[in-house]
Amino acid sequence: MVHRGSITALVLALAFALAPAARAQAPVAAAAAFSASCAVPDADVATSGSLAGLGAKLKAGDPVKIMAIGSSSTVGIGASSRNHAYPSDLSGILAKALKGSHIEIINRGVSGEVAATTAQRIRDEVDVERPDLLLWQLGTNDALSRVPPDQFAETVNTTLDWLKENKIDVALIGLQYTSKLARDANYIAIRDTLFKIAKDRHILYIRRYAAMKFIARTRAKLRLLSPDQFHLNDLGYECMAEQVAHAVVASLFVKRFRPGAAK
Amino acid sequence: MTISIDHVPGNLYVNYTLHNFALSDASEVFVFLAGWAMRLVADGSAARSNPVAANWRLVRRSGRLYVSQIVFSLLALAILALGAVVLNAPFLYDWNAAGTVFADPVRGLIGLATLLTQLGYFNILPLYVILMLMAPVMIAIYRRHPMLLLPASMALYAVVLAARFNLPNWPAPGAWFLNPFAWQLNFVLGFSIAGKTGIGAFARRFRWPLFVVSLPILALGLLASQTHFAPISPQTPWIRLFVAFNKTYESPARLINMLALAAVVPGIFEALHRVIAPVTSAFAKLGRNSLSVFCVGSLASLVGQIYRYVVGGGALNDTLILVCTFLVLWITAWYTEDLSPRWSWRWPSR
Repeated sequence: MVHRGSITALVLALAFALAPAARAQAPVAAAAAFSASCAVPDADVATSGSLAGLGAKLKAGDPVKIMAIGSSSTVGIGASSRNHAYPSDLSGILAKALKGSHIEIINRGVSGEVAATTAQRIRDEVDVERPDLLLWQLGTNDALSRVPPDQFAETVNTTLDWLKENKIDVALIGLQYTSKLARDANYIAIRDTLFKIAKDRHILYIRRYAAMKFIARTRAKLRLLSPDQFHLNDLGYECMAEQVAHAVVASLFVKRFRPGAAK
Repeated sequence: MTISIDHVPGNLYVNYTLHNFALSDASEVFVFLAGWAMRLVADGSAARSNPVAANWRLVRRSGRLYVSQIVFSLLALAILALGAVVLNAPFLYDWNAAGTVFADPVRGLIGLATLLTQLGYFNILPLYVILMLMAPVMIAIYRRHPMLLLPASMALYAVVLAARFNLPNWPAPGAWFLNPFAWQLNFVLGFSIAGKTGIGAFARRFRWPLFVVSLPILALGLLASQTHFAPISPQTPWIRLFVAFNKTYESPARLINMLALAAVVPGIFEALHRVIAPVTSAFAKLGRNSLSVFCVGSLASLVGQIYRYVVGGGALNDTLILVCTFLVLWITAWYTEDLSPRWSWRWPSR
């Protein structure tokens, strides 16, 4: 049921995005592209970024390949099965939201990985798979491994440079929110570093921390985390997939949707 | 030693290991030297007089490597589990790709036993196991048609890169981090150059010209690594891995850089050895016992990672980790080389 609500809303968002006149009259349509459990304000969804290459391929009716790479949140640790990892949920949502498109989503998550290791794998995987869109979930393990923020930033920036040269669209997916990690200074420093990179480079940045924090504060009874209070559960992954789908669709069809101020 | 440093993310000394100055890293050197050591075994009188027994020894060695991989993977999992429980830090269950095993132990254990699940930073031994299983075939070709071994290896390498064929991971998605069918060329190059005939004879005869030719290659590698340069990936799929600096498939650029290192480092090492023999001897001891040093180093890195989480980074902590790691590795090498031959339990030799 969660899927159905989300899909209906995404189709609405699409219709909204394609109709400039309607856009002005219905500014909340994009924000409505969530199930009731996962809904968050636009400001907490993502900052804007272009997905021009992906958009052109979809417009031409070509098949597109999306690679989800990252750590445990990409693998789906904490979900009841692999079918509930966020790339699987996203696949279902996008297939229905972008009807008629042939979208393949490849999961290349490796749990516990820091950005430097993923950066190496990105180059290696791109050589083999050549995706049209790379969804890079990152930051949590760098923060917990105490990777200095400037070293983290250099890794991310050099990788984004290379992806840009290779004309591969990127969306960065930020760190998750938990009440314990919110008190960790290094965690916040890495989160802010990633946000700044995305903002400076105009890269689509999924604000997972902000969205999860909003849900935790406004719907205290909802549980997005598994019992270990660190990994996401099925609902957490569903919300993550909806957030990514919402941001991707909005970036594809709305040139600039409202960027948020909070991190 | 550099592998152990590289495997503690974020530490200060990561910026000074081989991969910062060359396209290739310590993994290439490790596999190249493994091929080199294999040639010494193959040319030994025992292997020549009884090839069947020699092949059986290779299979047994592969078995010992497999056991080492399993034992050290389990120890790594235990260290992570201990850290997670004691520190109430559930994210430690994820580190080094252990999440697959802890989250789904049934499939994860099958994956570990079949080598289709490899913990992060524990990818070399599975590669080594497959190389040892391939070694009898390599040695058979070497014995009958020595000039064919390198071309055959290169042909397999070319096909694998063009077809982008690799062994799968399971139950996690993806494929092996170090593709044995591509990395076998690195091993065969070590095997071939170690010999006193063929390409090995050529390398010895033209040692100094090769040294000079290698210097600009190393300079280019240095430039590429310092500027984070990587070629643009071509649209044509079958060409891509030949052009890239791909580690999984050991792309040609990385191989060439590694060969240039092999041409230059021994000369530099000899010069250093004349000046600071105690230091070079200590590192040589690590190199001679690289398998045991690598296994213990992997665990030491894991402890270093957890230590950094608890205490934090910074020059002091990272230096402490570096010194402790070196001491642990040296003691391991000393035990393996000087003590364990007298004891009943030995490390599997390389």
